[in-house]
Amino acid sequence: MRLTRRQLVIGAGISGFALASPGLFAELAGGTAAVPILRTVPSSGESVPAIGMGTWITFNVGNDPYLIESRTEVLKTFFDRGGSVVDCSPMYGSSADVLGKALNALQAHDQVFAATKIWTADESATRTQAESSHNRWGVARFDLLQVHNLLGWRGHLETLKEMKADGEIRYLGITTSHGRRHDEFARIMETEPLDFVQLTYNVLDREAESVLMPLARERGIAVIVNRPFQGGALFRRVQSEPLPPWAAVAGIGSWAEFFLKFVIAHPAVTCAIPATSQVAHMQENMAAMYGELPSESQRQRMAAFVRSL
Amino acid sequence: MTDVAWLSYSLQDFLMFGPQVFLRLFIRLNQDFWPWQLLVVPLTLAVPWMMCRPTHAWRRLAVWLVAAAWIGSGAGFLVRYFGEINWPAVWFGWAFVAQGLLIAVLAICCHSEAIPKGRAGVFTGLWLTGVVALPWVTVLQSGELGAMAVFGLTPDVTLAASSLVLAMMPRVWLWPLLPIPLVWVLFSAATYWALQLVWFLLLPAATLILFALGCWLSPSLARSQDPQSGHRGPVRR
Ligand SMILES: NC(=O)c1ccc[n+]([C@@H]2O[C@H](COP(=O)([O-])OP(=O)(O)OC[C@H]3O[C@@H](n4cnc5c(N)ncnc54)[C@H](OP(=O)(O)O)[C@@H]3O)[C@@H](O)[C@H]2O)c1
Repeated sequence: MRLTRRQLVIGAGISGFALASPGLFAELAGGTAAVPILRTVPSSGESVPAIGMGTWITFNVGNDPYLIESRTEVLKTFFDRGGSVVDCSPMYGSSADVLGKALNALQAHDQVFAATKIWTADESATRTQAESSHNRWGVARFDLLQVHNLLGWRGHLETLKEMKADGEIRYLGITTSHGRRHDEFARIMETEPLDFVQLTYNVLDREAESVLMPLARERGIAVIVNRPFQGGALFRRVQSEPLPPWAAVAGIGSWAEFFLKFVIAHPAVTCAIPATSQVAHMQENMAAMYGELPSESQRQRMAAFVRSL
Repeated sequence: MTDVAWLSYSLQDFLMFGPQVFLRLFIRLNQDFWPWQLLVVPLTLAVPWMMCRPTHAWRRLAVWLVAAAWIGSGAGFLVRYFGEINWPAVWFGWAFVAQGLLIAVLAICCHSEAIPKGRAGVFTGLWLTGVVALPWVTVLQSGELGAMAVFGLTPDVTLAASSLVLAMMPRVWLWPLLPIPLVWVLFSAATYWALQLVWFLLLPAATLILFALGCWLSPSLARSQDPQSGHRGPVRR
């Protein structure tokens, strides 16, 4: 496998950080080896960190300098803790512009695995929209372009294939969420040369387990998981509930870790992209990328426990 | 997308920003607009006095101030600030500007009547409730004095207070002025509900209440209730 300059930077960043912060890593990893959990993109063999970052709502802060600075801190924490995959969409209001400003402030264009979407019913506008997203993010090219919620997918996928062949993007994919349109989604997975799919999966919403995730493994498609916290509803569900005592055995130290480790322990999952507007939450979320992952039987126990609350 | 798919969306799914970001809009607007509030607020407080003058010119000036408030809050708060994080706000912003222009034109064409003496005090009290008490809703919600929602700069307080003045318009002119406020009341109530901004729900509620009270105060209705006017109003029947 040939490593790109960015992959090297990401890899060096992760290991450099590990060397520089042994105490923190020991803590992050619950005393075990401080190695971030990476996953392989089947179509290329490239490794990506198993926890990424979403930007829906959280990065849509407009031109507010105070909030832009605060989101820049969130992104910095994400990179500092070894993150790289960032997901956005033209649908997310000012999120792309805010990301662009944050990346610029951190000079972190080399650290990001840039994933955005095409979201327009006009199937001939793929390149125009990609171009506009380029300008907003300020990145040289996108690693991944996805057709958002299958909107105009036929036309967009054709153009994305051309763009990939021309080296304008590295990967292409499609997205869905909330368990919608899984039948059509599966048909596209069966027939199109996709590198990535993005879908909703969490400890309560597990529809993807039946068809889409096995299909992704079979077809060698990487899986990005959106809404790993069910849009935050999972935290409200467990609000006053302490972690079950057996969680520690599965290497889990917080509810955020509980939910995220449940997701990334699934063998079909490449990465989860939780969104947050808070540095403290980002720290908690990134801790899920270190240490043990629950076994399949532990995962079943975790799901049953949350269902029972 | 099929009709059934739409049913799987909740109100929250349409929200593309969080409460903190929304509340910050009020703070930023007040910071950027300072010190013009010092001019806007006294003008706002003078509206009841103008509305109760017997001379039509004063009442027209009051209605123009209300028109300017619609234009200001539409082009300012909605288009420039809220529109950055929520694209439907831009449409609403231009709708507010159009409504402001319409009100301004109607103030020239139609002569509203002076508020009857006996009701001037009630009108003033209600107006002050709209422009002095309601702005505190944003302060209560955010805990920041700088977030105060000023009449003429922010849409809900503008709409709530000005609905009193709109209700004074002759009925025939009132109808074209109703759709935009009604749609905004629904949109804002749904937004505040989804954002869980409980105090903010007072704003659309106050708009409806003030409009109903404005209709009750309006000179034409007052006349219809006055036995000496020769009309036998529906209420007295
Ligand atoms: N169709 C699609 O393509 C599609 C659809 C949905 C989502 N997505 C992508 O997936 C990403 C993730 O989904 P999502 O944003 O809808 O939901 P999510 O990541 O499941 O949940 C986000 C919510 O969880 C809260 N949160 C995060 N970390 C927390 C922690 N450690 N403790 C307590 N609360 C925490 C956040 O609040 P705070 O800000 O307070 O931390 C936020 O309200 C999106 O941002 C987007 O990029 C794509």
